[in-house]
Amino acid sequence: MKTAIVGASGYVGGELLRLALQHPDLEVVQVSSDSYAGQAVGRVHPNLRKRTELVFVPHEKVEPADVTFIAVPHRSAMGRMPEWLASGGFVVDLSADHRLKDPAKYPEFYGVEHPHPELLRRSVYGVPELHRDALRGARLIANPGCIAIASILALRPLVDAQLIDAKRPVIVDAKSGSSAGGADAGPAAAHPERSGAVRPYAPVGHRHTAEIEQETGLRIAMSAHAVGSVRGVLSTCHAAGAGPTDDKQLWRAYRAAYANEPFVRIVHDPDGIHRAPDPKVLYGSNYADVGFALDPRAGRVVALSAIDNLMKGAAGNALQCLNIAAGFPETRGLEFAGLHPA
Amino acid sequence: MTNCPECDAQVDCGAMIAGEIFPCRDCGTELEVLATAPITVERAPKEAEDWGE
Repeated sequence: MKTAIVGASGYVGGELLRLALQHPDLEVVQVSSDSYAGQAVGRVHPNLRKRTELVFVPHEKVEPADVTFIAVPHRSAMGRMPEWLASGGFVVDLSADHRLKDPAKYPEFYGVEHPHPELLRRSVYGVPELHRDALRGARLIANPGCIAIASILALRPLVDAQLIDAKRPVIVDAKSGSSAGGADAGPAAAHPERSGAVRPYAPVGHRHTAEIEQETGLRIAMSAHAVGSVRGVLSTCHAAGAGPTDDKQLWRAYRAAYANEPFVRIVHDPDGIHRAPDPKVLYGSNYADVGFALDPRAGRVVALSAIDNLMKGAAGNALQCLNIAAGFPETRGLEFAGLHPA
Repeated sequence: MTNCPECDAQVDCGAMIAGEIFPCRDCGTELEVLATAPITVERAPKEAEDWGE
């Protein structure tokens, strides 16, 4: 399938390109960047030297393709989506512009009225573990936010098994690496500022809150922190238990949700040094490692989820969704197991 | 077949013999086969820090 990546010079776009170049069913024909138009891909993504001779073109020069990945900043894809959809191909939007079903949430969380609310009904929220059937054949896929998908994967088994009190707010404590801020993150991402940081950059009001609430039905109270790693998200979710429970019941809930999922692993090891999910072992892989802990003294269930924010949190999940939509094997192009040590 | 005492996963002890130790595929807990008829497993004892002393 002829494939175009709009916004290919960012970190997510670079990961999409890396994955698409090694996908046997995709042929990348155009990559766009207004900032780097005319420059070779290898100058921006040095890991792709000798892997492609592509040169960036301006966004406006992108032609209709069988598959179009949109990796531009939030609010940039809203206006042009009808034009991209007109080609009839698959469009995977990695921005936030088509994730929320309720148009009223866009002014609240993104500060703008959505110009095409009819597309919000049409888009499929791209969590394969929840919406696999809807993804089959879908032409507009809204790829989730990185903290959102991590938190949703952690919490949904507890919601489905009714093991937590859904009437009480669930606290989501998220930590993300610097690449989540994008390639143009500004002075806050400069090495002297970022290295070693544990910075609460959104103690309240993080935009991914809306997605997690939409997909779990819970009231979410999120605090997000920037940490010193380059990749990775760890979401630690604290929920009030619905009643007495135990480890076995939690195991059964997570097993029921994920035993057959190709990219979700349950990590709850009583021994060893890797007892709980840790994004460090997921760099470059599309796995989400989920786990849990029980705090009977406080009546608390802790749900954990680790991902590589650029993979299961962005490009890898987008390709997984496309594989489903287009009828390819779901794991195609996503077989890399990650690095250890990393 | 029996169940892991830690995570309740089904564990297949196949042709194992009593005393054999194996990891649960789901949670990684090391389990010991206590008996084979019927099959009985429990968490394998951990060696104390002064083992071999």
